[in-house]
Amino acid sequence: MDASEPPTLHSRRTLDLRFNIPISKTNRFWESLKEGKFITTKCKDCGEVTFPPQVDCPSCMSSNSEWIDLGTEAELVTFTYVVITPTSFVDSGPYHVAVGKLGQGLKVLAWVEGATTEELKPGMKLRLEARNGSAASPYYVFVPVK
Amino acid sequence: MDTVKGTLGLSETLRGVAIVGIGHSKFGRRNDVSVAELAFESIRGAVEDAGIDKKQVENVTLGSVGGWCEETVPATIVNEYSGFQHVGSMRVEAACASGSAAVKNAYLSVASGESDIAMAVGLEKMTEVNTLTAIELMGRGGSYLWEFENFGMTFASYYAMFAVAHMNRFGTTEEDLARVAVKAHHYGAMNPLAQFQKEITIEKVLSSQVVSWPLKLYDASPVSDGSAAVVLASEETAKKLTDTPIWIKSIGASSDSADMSRRDGYVGLSATVDASRKAYSVAKIGPEMVDVANCHDCFTIAEIMAYEDLGFCAKGEGTKLLKDGQTMIGGKIPVNVDGGLKAKGHPIGATGVSMMVEISKQLRGEAGKRQVPIKNGIGLVHNVGGTGHYCYVTVLSRSR
Repeated sequence: MDASEPPTLHSRRTLDLRFNIPISKTNRFWESLKEGKFITTKCKDCGEVTFPPQVDCPSCMSSNSEWIDLGTEAELVTFTYVVITPTSFVDSGPYHVAVGKLGQGLKVLAWVEGATTEELKPGMKLRLEARNGSAASPYYVFVPVK
Repeated sequence: MDTVKGTLGLSETLRGVAIVGIGHSKFGRRNDVSVAELAFESIRGAVEDAGIDKKQVENVTLGSVGGWCEETVPATIVNEYSGFQHVGSMRVEAACASGSAAVKNAYLSVASGESDIAMAVGLEKMTEVNTLTAIELMGRGGSYLWEFENFGMTFASYYAMFAVAHMNRFGTTEEDLARVAVKAHHYGAMNPLAQFQKEITIEKVLSSQVVSWPLKLYDASPVSDGSAAVVLASEETAKKLTDTPIWIKSIGASSDSADMSRRDGYVGLSATVDASRKAYSVAKIGPEMVDVANCHDCFTIAEIMAYEDLGFCAKGEGTKLLKDGQTMIGGKIPVNVDGGLKAKGHPIGATGVSMMVEISKQLRGEAGKRQVPIKNGIGLVHNVGGTGHYCYVTVLSRSR
């Protein structure tokens, strides 16, 4: 300990914060993802399409929604290369993250695999792919379309 | 009068409200004080500056996000330590705009007639946890399930995405961004309450550690502890207390999506555009009438976008405004001449109140060697929560 540091009490009481996040209303997205398919929500009353999916329409407040194909072809809108990661990602970093624009104007934020910072350019073609499909926690990434 | 929804000020049904007392702690790594002791520093300062007895304060609103220190209900411990009892009180949260949200609540208390004297305190104690934990707690402030759980976004990462889009669209360079930090440190070196009081060079910014490309360590505001406080009074009371009341002309508030994927674009913050237009409209001013401004420069790109979104220049011309020296003292619109979030520090709940303190000092003519020439008597506070998730724009004036 630095002798010039003021005295502090290093608390003995620790807290393990781990949340059980309800996903009932978006479960079809996650189940579909395990099969490598991407779907999202469309309001049957006003036609609003949303990503992230939400079965309750933010436009007209109807809950009369259907699931539609999201597609996987995207165009890179913007990106970054995360070097200093949050504490729970220290074993995963560094990583590229991009926002990609899909059909119907919807955008998705996800990691980009298989590209360097120099290779990533706004406007380039990306494709969504599922990852970790056999596990309880599937996720998805963009990969550049070569 | 104009009616602009979501905007406060100049209403026939509300009383005039002025800032009559200001207090500000030293910002930085303040492990010499507890959270309540840190708040006390600015609360006592504001009470003494207002020349009131603290028993006259009827409402205390605390702006604080919390989660990084041991007190989970901080308003109560702050009130107890500073000796406020039986006051109307709450903690409010609007991410990094929590300070402005606290001022809005205190403003409403006085303007509505609930109280004659109210206080807004901004407070954050972020260094009791390690830096990566602080980064995580901020990063979780987007849309958790879709941005953090799988992709580990941080606030540097969000702003980096805006920087990349701005660079791609307008040819903005990393050197352009670095100039924001150099200006911030230039003024921070003149502010004894700032976390960083040393000048830096463009080269130092460019060669610093990449945090989230293209943003580097010196593009980012630091993790900070600090507090700031303002005493607000009704028109009648303010005139009795001081010859230099600083009137709150308007508070424009706005918001945008939590999830970045739902934004229309990444070269500006629509919440800033909306909040500022509301604030200008109600105060009956334009951006050209602002003598001095504090803008939300949590990252260098944020200050460039703020110039543009607030209408200090056209979209895409923010880097030129800076390069031409127009946002320095003596320029067209001096911005962040207290060092800004970048050099003064960014204890997130304290920041909005700290901005009110600085602009009040400037409009009173008490800013010393950092004093900006005051022509129209109008100052502006631009306080963003998250990446434009919230925005508050407050117009302050020497005249009622």
